[in-house]
Amino acid sequence: MMAAIPNGVIAETVGSRGVVRVRGEVDLSWSQEVRRAILDALASGHPVAVDLSAVDYIDSSGIAALVEGLQRARERRQPFVLVAVSAPVRAVLELARLDGVFTLAASADEAFAAP
Amino acid sequence: MSMSPASLPSPVRGSGSLAFLAELSQALALSLDLDVTLQQTVDRVLDFMQAEAASLFLVDEGSGAPAIECRICAGPIDVRGLRLAPGQGVVGRAVAENRIQIVADAASDPRVWRDVDRSGGFVTRSLACAPLATAAGPIGALEIINRLDGQPFCSDDGELLGVIAAPAALAINNARMAGRLLEQQRLKREFELARRLQRSLLPRRRRGGYPVVAVNRPAHEMSGDFYDHFELAGGRIGFVAGDVSGKGMDAALLMVRAASLLRWIGKEGASPATWLERANDELCAGPRDGRFVCALVGWCDPATMQVVFAAAGFPPVLVEREGRFDEYRAGGPPLGIAAGAAFDETRLDLGTGTLFAFSDGATDVRDHGGAPLGVAGVRELLARGGGRAPAARLRTLLAALRRRGLVDDTTLLAVAPPGAQAGGMVLERWITADAANLRALRGALRTALDAIGVDAALCERLVLAVDEACANIIRHGYGGDPRGGIGLKVRRDGALLVIELADQAPCADPADLRPRPLGECRQGGFGLALIDAVVDDWRLENGPGGRGNRLILEKRIAGHRQAEENE
Repeated sequence: MMAAIPNGVIAETVGSRGVVRVRGEVDLSWSQEVRRAILDALASGHPVAVDLSAVDYIDSSGIAALVEGLQRARERRQPFVLVAVSAPVRAVLELARLDGVFTLAASADEAFAAP
Repeated sequence: MSMSPASLPSPVRGSGSLAFLAELSQALALSLDLDVTLQQTVDRVLDFMQAEAASLFLVDEGSGAPAIECRICAGPIDVRGLRLAPGQGVVGRAVAENRIQIVADAASDPRVWRDVDRSGGFVTRSLACAPLATAAGPIGALEIINRLDGQPFCSDDGELLGVIAAPAALAINNARMAGRLLEQQRLKREFELARRLQRSLLPRRRRGGYPVVAVNRPAHEMSGDFYDHFELAGGRIGFVAGDVSGKGMDAALLMVRAASLLRWIGKEGASPATWLERANDELCAGPRDGRFVCALVGWCDPATMQVVFAAAGFPPVLVEREGRFDEYRAGGPPLGIAAGAAFDETRLDLGTGTLFAFSDGATDVRDHGGAPLGVAGVRELLARGGGRAPAARLRTLLAALRRRGLVDDTTLLAVAPPGAQAGGMVLERWITADAANLRALRGALRTALDAIGVDAALCERLVLAVDEACANIIRHGYGGDPRGGIGLKVRRDGALLVIELADQAPCADPADLRPRPLGECRQGGFGLALIDAVVDDWRLENGPGGRGNRLILEKRIAGHRQAEENE
């Protein structure tokens, strides 16, 4: 059995984009940290990509943090993209019928490439 | 002070009668061997009453002509075994009239029957006889002959004899009742032994990946019904359900014969039709007493869930697939009626379905309107337990039939994929209401669900549902107070997974728990919607006194990967 990924969220700025990397299992115990990191990244005014490739599990409070980020970004007309969404996250988004609401991209580069 | 070695009654006639009676009563009441005690009683009466001879007669309760027989005597001649007709002689008259008889002068009294004297050279001069009276009438008589002092017996002698006869009658009566009780107990023990022997013929329930389960309920002590299951070549499992006509011991003995025959022919690997043909010919060759045997025989291959069966006078078989029932009428006459009969074979792919067979004890049960349930009625009762393990469904069906009143032996048998038979606790955990505990709980649930063969995608969704439910309890139930507790129980009942989450938080109003529509882009409040999307059914039960909630989630897991059962 694979070792569990430790929970964590890292926000960095790459060029003119904010990237929020989340890993582990997002649940009620720390989803507020994820929410804070996303809102902080958006506060910088940059386009924001949330990298979910290392997320093994996400509950409704984690999804709520993503939804809040999306709503905040829309208000400010900031691009907000979910990047490299892992299968467990995708399954929950589908279950919540939110998979069509978010912009999904394979990578941050793809997400912000000129259309 | 000197003590006499045995405090025997006074040898002086009439004196010390109270002490004598007290001692006699006690000896009779405490008697372990009534024959010995009665002999001692008669000896003492002889001594106490100062008579030449004394004898005790008992009414013969056995078959044949009614008679009063001398069972115990004391004196110069042995008249034991002497039988008198009712009313014959003084003894017969004492019994017939239930009154003390006194004969002062035997030579001139017409009541006296003198054959005894003639044969033994003994001369009866005077006699007294008291009936052994019980609530149900006299059971015999106590007689004394000839006073030692040569005087005739007087009415005082008769009364005294009557008083002595009373405890003797009581003791004999008690002993007889005890004997009858003992006989009843012996019969009951033998019956119980036969019943246990018969039940021991039924195979034990097999667990862990076994496709056949059956229950049997005799209407009386002994059963004419039976079932069997056993391994056959190639991993197949043979099964038998049988019903011998009639009830009671005769039917039970035929059941033993039929069950053995069907087992051994089946084990030889015969096809179901041939299996019945051979059993029929064998039963027809045996003693014919008008009894016959209805039977269903077949086998199931657990690897392919292909089932083949044949029936002889047995009610139709029901096959349930996804809640729909098909009826299979398998032809063929009951066994033991006509040699050379042929039987049809039915072959079907059971898949994830369940085959139900039942003896006519089930279909003959009356519904509330008094009409027999029939196959349709049994099917209706079965449909109510859909989704549960076959063993639980058979038990529920049997309970429903018993509530309506079983009048005949009843056997129920189910064949289903091995995975469907499993049941029991999958996981039991208790955590404090702290979100930090959720990750470990999810891990334990994943492991447990994987172990029972729930596929990975469904497993993740169920983990999510439980996690969301716990999060709701932590946030809304306990308001974030981590001192509260959450109990998780995951049970499997056949194809149904039942998840129960219990807390001690203030009761939630079930009306407040309405899942919000999914797909709405909102920040929260869709935990319950996720739960609703994952499970088939959920409900909230409130605890007593405004505290405590039980959230029950149910999910059918049939059709998903069936793991090897390691029960």
